[in-house]
Amino acid sequence: MNNRRLGKIMSPVNKLALLTFCTALFMAGSAAAKPGTAAKGKEIYDKRCTWCHGAEGAGDGAAKDRLNPPPRDFTSGNYKIRSSDFADPTPNDEDIFRMIRDGMPNTAMPSWSDLLAEQDMWDLVAYVKTFAKYDKPPAKQVEYGTQVKSSAESIEKGKKLFEEGDRCVECHGKTGKGSASKRLKGDAGERTWPRNLTKPWIFRGSNDPKDIYTRISTGIAGTEMPSFADPKSKKKLTDEERWHVANYVASLAKGKDKKVNAENTVVKADKVEGELPGTPEDAAWEKTAPTTFYLVPQIIGGERFFTPSDDTITVRAMYNDKTVAMLLEWDDRTKSIPGDDLAEKLADAPIAEDGVAVQLPVVIPKEMQKPYFGMGDAANPVNIWHWKSGTKDAPETINLINSKGFKEIEKRDAAGASLKAKSSYSDGTWKVLITRPLTTSSADKDIQFSEGRFIPVAFAAWDGSNSEKGSKHTMTTWYWLLLKPATGSKPLITALIVAGLFLGGLLWWARSAKPAA
Amino acid sequence: MAQKRRIPRLLQLALIIIGVCFAFILLFDVVLHQIIPKSLLTMYMLFVTAGTVMVFTFTEEGAQELVGPIKALVEDPSKKMVRNVVFVIVPLLAGYYTYTSMMPSFEAPMELRTIHPAPPGKFKAYGKSYNLSKLENPYRKFEKEDPAKFKGLVKEGGDVYIQNCQYCHGDKLDGNGPYASGLNPTPLNFQDVGTIAQLQESFLFWRISTGGPGLPAEAAPWISAMPVWQDYLTEDEIWKVILFLYNYTGRAPRSWANE
Repeated sequence: MNNRRLGKIMSPVNKLALLTFCTALFMAGSAAAKPGTAAKGKEIYDKRCTWCHGAEGAGDGAAKDRLNPPPRDFTSGNYKIRSSDFADPTPNDEDIFRMIRDGMPNTAMPSWSDLLAEQDMWDLVAYVKTFAKYDKPPAKQVEYGTQVKSSAESIEKGKKLFEEGDRCVECHGKTGKGSASKRLKGDAGERTWPRNLTKPWIFRGSNDPKDIYTRISTGIAGTEMPSFADPKSKKKLTDEERWHVANYVASLAKGKDKKVNAENTVVKADKVEGELPGTPEDAAWEKTAPTTFYLVPQIIGGERFFTPSDDTITVRAMYNDKTVAMLLEWDDRTKSIPGDDLAEKLADAPIAEDGVAVQLPVVIPKEMQKPYFGMGDAANPVNIWHWKSGTKDAPETINLINSKGFKEIEKRDAAGASLKAKSSYSDGTWKVLITRPLTTSSADKDIQFSEGRFIPVAFAAWDGSNSEKGSKHTMTTWYWLLLKPATGSKPLITALIVAGLFLGGLLWWARSAKPAA
Repeated sequence: MAQKRRIPRLLQLALIIIGVCFAFILLFDVVLHQIIPKSLLTMYMLFVTAGTVMVFTFTEEGAQELVGPIKALVEDPSKKMVRNVVFVIVPLLAGYYTYTSMMPSFEAPMELRTIHPAPPGKFKAYGKSYNLSKLENPYRKFEKEDPAKFKGLVKEGGDVYIQNCQYCHGDKLDGNGPYASGLNPTPLNFQDVGTIAQLQESFLFWRISTGGPGLPAEAAPWISAMPVWQDYLTEDEIWKVILFLYNYTGRAPRSWANE
């Protein structure tokens, strides 16, 4: 006990001595980078950074177990986003500076540039480097050669190299969505996942082709992403080839459907004459407008969940005179089918079924008040349509639940309400089609759809390979579903009448004026 | 006499009205950084138009000059071409306006809510009743009495914050945590002078312990993602988190003593 306490007192003193020494070295050695003072950096670090990265920089702050990805352990010396040569783990000061200034998208690391002055951030760089005792700048940098501008030809070449010998496909998959084919591990033994390359806004170090080139060239330290510039690698690429691959990867971002547009909060269902599409893959869905929402982990009720994998859900809807159909689409890197050998191998045990849910109020609110977004409340019940992916021995299911808050749940008969679902999974994407008649026989228990009304709607998703089950899942807050009424010919006819009246009036005016002329 | 004037009076009128309209938009957008609501602009412009027309038609002569070119459209045979164009364009514009205004817009309904509702006199949490006007942070006194102990309490509050609150309110307490963008209403920004700096610690205790569902109806409790923290945190932990919020942002709570 005494020893531990002594250690705790001693180490900062040691560190301070060390960092003064390092700073001196740093200031003497490097002219190009802006000199930071490690001692000043420590002050800022102790106030701002210890919470996640820990007092000693070991990535063991109080938030550690509730963050995914975990906070960087600076003592490991591994910096994921760096521009120094693959053989030299030392980051450039600018690399660390950039991460502090811009933050890392889709992680808990924010951009600090609005709270810290530029000099503060350079001071932090100086201090953070002391944890891995990086006192000299890297000896070699990434070789950029001559940048190849993106073109159809370059992208085509990049695609070939991406797929050739399973070079990138091995982990990122043929579509680049990073659907899992094997387990990957980080330096701290944590599970890591290949980036979904079709979602460029979650790239930690930007999706600019130059940044992608840099990642391909040095690899991502502390993960299984290797360097493709390493001459010892069987999959090595030349400078030019790496530019082609970078251009190809940047081009994978074309699926803009899945990017969240915060302004767009309404799922607009088009009215169709005749039959609704019967499968999730039906080409008719392409003609409807997609709406994408963020999924956030559930931390408001029961057992909370902090480390989600699903991040967005894309919704399309259609209806005819009898039925409403919703197509839910989301990227999930694992198809979680309990009992299936491959699924079990890839999952973090215990595996559970994947799932998705749609939440709707039983009664469409006439005024602003809605049911509580977390499964309704005592006075305002909700319908929940919960689809589950099924197990090796049981097919997929659709479940109907009525709830008044998460403690008062009533399981109902989905078939009785003619609630149906059909799914497909390919290359890391689930598509689930859910249909229900517009009206049912129990109006007191089921939502009765009517066109032209703004209907609150919320969604939830479960990645069963990511320990998500029960209250551990991702979800959205309330958005809107609108069965777009067919506008008919009324506006057009009225417009024609108005135009005719105006013309008539003008002619009458012209006529009545003439005698005066 | 009219020949001398460079700009015909009708054009002058049009230019003045368009100019004022443009100036309004410029003033609001560029100077005040606030886009002018369409309904407000319409109302302003109605007065401007009426006023300008009144000025322009103040004298008989002026009025004649103004309507002269319009009358000429139908009276002057040399203006036949212009007349035909006007007679096509005006009905088309009227038809188009009618059509667009009759097409239903599918914009989401507006939802107005009070962000800082008036607190109740009393509220229930942890199975007991609290009187908000008498409620004080039991740890606040150590700020002066025992700064070392206070520092420790702030640190403990920070640990609670980073394990529970940063997901939405952010590492920087700026309301921009990793999941903030998935929420509507968005999480409060504690760095902002308009949030915790305007509130008493007892108000924060009420908001944290009873969460979104504890809000009064005018604040739309059904959409607030603020958890009911009495389910997850102890009373002590909430008071410590409150210390941390003020300490980290460098703000001071409002108190009865300062009112």
